[in-house]
Amino acid sequence: MVNNNTIEEEKITSVQSPEVKVQVRGLTKSFGDLLVLDDVSFDVRKGEFLCIVGPTGCGKTTFLNSLTKLYTIDEGEMLVDGEPMDLKKHDIAYIFQEYSTMSWLRVDENVSFGLRIKGYPEEVIKERVDKVLKMIGLDKYRHYYPKKLSASMLQRVVIARAFAVEPELLLMDEPYGQLDLQLKYKLEDELLRLWEKTGTTVIFITHNIEEAVYLSDRILVLTNKPAKIKEELINDLPRPRDIADPKFVELRNRVTELIKWW
Amino acid sequence: MKRVFTKEKVQMALWGIIGLMSILLIWQISVMVTSLGRIMPEPIEVVKSFLISSIKPVGRYTLLQHMLFSLLRVFVGFSLSGVSGIILGIAMGRSKTINSIASPIFNMVRPIPGVAWIPLAILWFGIGETTKYFIIFMGGFAQVVVNTMSGARKVDKTLVGAARMLGANKRQEFFRIVIPSSVPYIFAGLQISLSTSWMAVLAAEMVSSYKGSGWIIITGMNNGNTVQILVGMISIGVVGLGLANLMRIIERRLCSWRIQGQ
Amino acid sequence: MENTGTVTAKNIMIKCNSIFKTFESKDDENEVIRNFNLEIKENEFVVLFGPGQCGKTTVLNIIAGLEQSTKGEVFVNGRKITEPGPDRGMVYQTTALFPWLTVMGNVEFGPKSLGVKKKERRERAQYYIDLVGLKGFEKHYPIKLSGGMQQRVGIARAYCNNPPVILLDEPFGALDAQTRYLMEEELGRICTKEKRTIVFVTNNIEEAIYLADRIVLLTNCPTTIRKEYIIGLPRPRDYTSNDFLTLRKEITSEMDETI
Repeated sequence: MVNNNTIEEEKITSVQSPEVKVQVRGLTKSFGDLLVLDDVSFDVRKGEFLCIVGPTGCGKTTFLNSLTKLYTIDEGEMLVDGEPMDLKKHDIAYIFQEYSTMSWLRVDENVSFGLRIKGYPEEVIKERVDKVLKMIGLDKYRHYYPKKLSASMLQRVVIARAFAVEPELLLMDEPYGQLDLQLKYKLEDELLRLWEKTGTTVIFITHNIEEAVYLSDRILVLTNKPAKIKEELINDLPRPRDIADPKFVELRNRVTELIKWW
Repeated sequence: MKRVFTKEKVQMALWGIIGLMSILLIWQISVMVTSLGRIMPEPIEVVKSFLISSIKPVGRYTLLQHMLFSLLRVFVGFSLSGVSGIILGIAMGRSKTINSIASPIFNMVRPIPGVAWIPLAILWFGIGETTKYFIIFMGGFAQVVVNTMSGARKVDKTLVGAARMLGANKRQEFFRIVIPSSVPYIFAGLQISLSTSWMAVLAAEMVSSYKGSGWIIITGMNNGNTVQILVGMISIGVVGLGLANLMRIIERRLCSWRIQGQ
Repeated sequence: MENTGTVTAKNIMIKCNSIFKTFESKDDENEVIRNFNLEIKENEFVVLFGPGQCGKTTVLNIIAGLEQSTKGEVFVNGRKITEPGPDRGMVYQTTALFPWLTVMGNVEFGPKSLGVKKKERRERAQYYIDLVGLKGFEKHYPIKLSGGMQQRVGIARAYCNNPPVILLDEPFGALDAQTRYLMEEELGRICTKEKRTIVFVTNNIEEAIYLADRIVLLTNCPTTIRKEYIIGLPRPRDYTSNDFLTLRKEITSEMDETI
């Protein structure tokens, strides 16, 4: 990956570093006779924004649940910094499709939840929560219960909670699926901003091709069940990206062709 | 429904048999080696007596006939409480006026268990069959009403709207939307009601009867015949299990539209 | 953009006459729709497009007769709307299928309610089941179908009464992006084959441009019309064509100012 002239912020230069953060090796999973994941291997570099797209029903959820170890996998391994992934040792955050806020906690309590579990001292928690709430524009709503917030606000709470732990790796499963397109782009821009500021490594799984092209440094295209990696596409379009830019459209159409079943 | 004997199911059934056998074994050993033998017969004895009394009368009737008498009583009482409970439940669920009239009385009577009606029932109806029907009725009625009512209330308003958009009139709305969407709730009520009915009939028979499973237990006690008591108790267990399974089968048939998967 | 004032009264299918809607609760009033005026021609495909959750669905529900306007009236085919009725087919985001009925049972629900004889309504239902591509699934219960297939049933059910007007309330909002493209294509195909007057509510700009003859851009609360766009792109449309994307940016930036 070259194309250094497009990079404006210094921070992103680190993205270019070849340092591998995550290694997935030979991930295989089947349910009974049904093979869902077939020997999936890939690397993610430190600070990289990796998008994974596949056709509807390709085993996306199984893929993610295997990565998060919600399912025991049949074969393969996942290494973080060269060591087997360990949720106790590595700071890994997840953002799923459902807004999984805890309804009995206020916004700031929701955001500090992960930090408390990890046993951070009270000052650190306060500082981190303040910072992340400000970054994402939830400061005014910190004492609200989730019930009072709109869908997009809830999604922001979830994102704030994930970033509060300053994760080394962030796994996201189509977090904006149900939001309207307008809000979606707004939240995506916010996500990119947070990502650029924190240098977190992101694995983002989605069905939405345009979204993948908008966000990613690199796109992995999966095949239909059993999911294998069909193709890997480098996405070095300059940010902020324009959906009507011919190069953007070209990449989008290329991914579409690889996936299209409809 | 197709029956599939998977390896797992066979394994589970085996574990069940092992559990049952070990209880019998512990019972047998305890009776043999401890002083428990003075108050408890051997399990072999009970099983033998259970089989013999299925053919040879206990009192005037065989064990099977006693069980059938009890079942008949339950059938009558349960049908009465079921039908009237469904009607009252739907009326209370759909009409605010009826609910306002009925709910104070209903909520006061509801906590009184079926067996508490026995003395009054005997004074009112004597010791004949009517008393038993009445007690069973009182035992099962409330559950049917409560469940039916909540089912009738929880009818999805969107579905009602959809039906009206398709041209359904009030009558069709009631019979084609309200009733079917309450069925799962009604069924849950009937299931609870059936098991309380079964308990109520035994209580009624213990107090005054010359036949039925409850009578077997009570005469067993009066004669100091532990074997007979245990035979009566086992017959209750067997019938109760049978009834619960029967209800489950009917429910599967009636609510097959709620079962996900192939 | 051209408004529709030039069309003759004869072929106007839906007419919304200065509609106002205010929800009142104990301690506050919430104005949801303010002075909403719209005329829709026969067989026109109109998309109500706008931000947020505010008044779009309420407008549709008022046309459906499922909600009442506080002020103003709606005429469909010259008749004033006061309640739901079979002259308007409705498709819901939540599908609102009757879960205890099979695909066939759902689709024939309308004609059955109206007393159409079994043979005839079966034939008609079968025609629409085939049309939406569900041949072979007649006996399935909704719970066993995928989201896209459930929505196909919803569309067939709405068409089966043969209403002149079909109202769709974010029908593909809960589907994943790819299934959504498929369903948009399918709906486009169905609409060319079976001409109806269509009001389609969405907050997805791609979907709006792909399907509409005319997009009515709504403002946020209280909802009123901000601007209208006649979409003249040839069909079937291409999501990534230059014209499509240009229009998309134009409407999006117009909407951003609204928020």
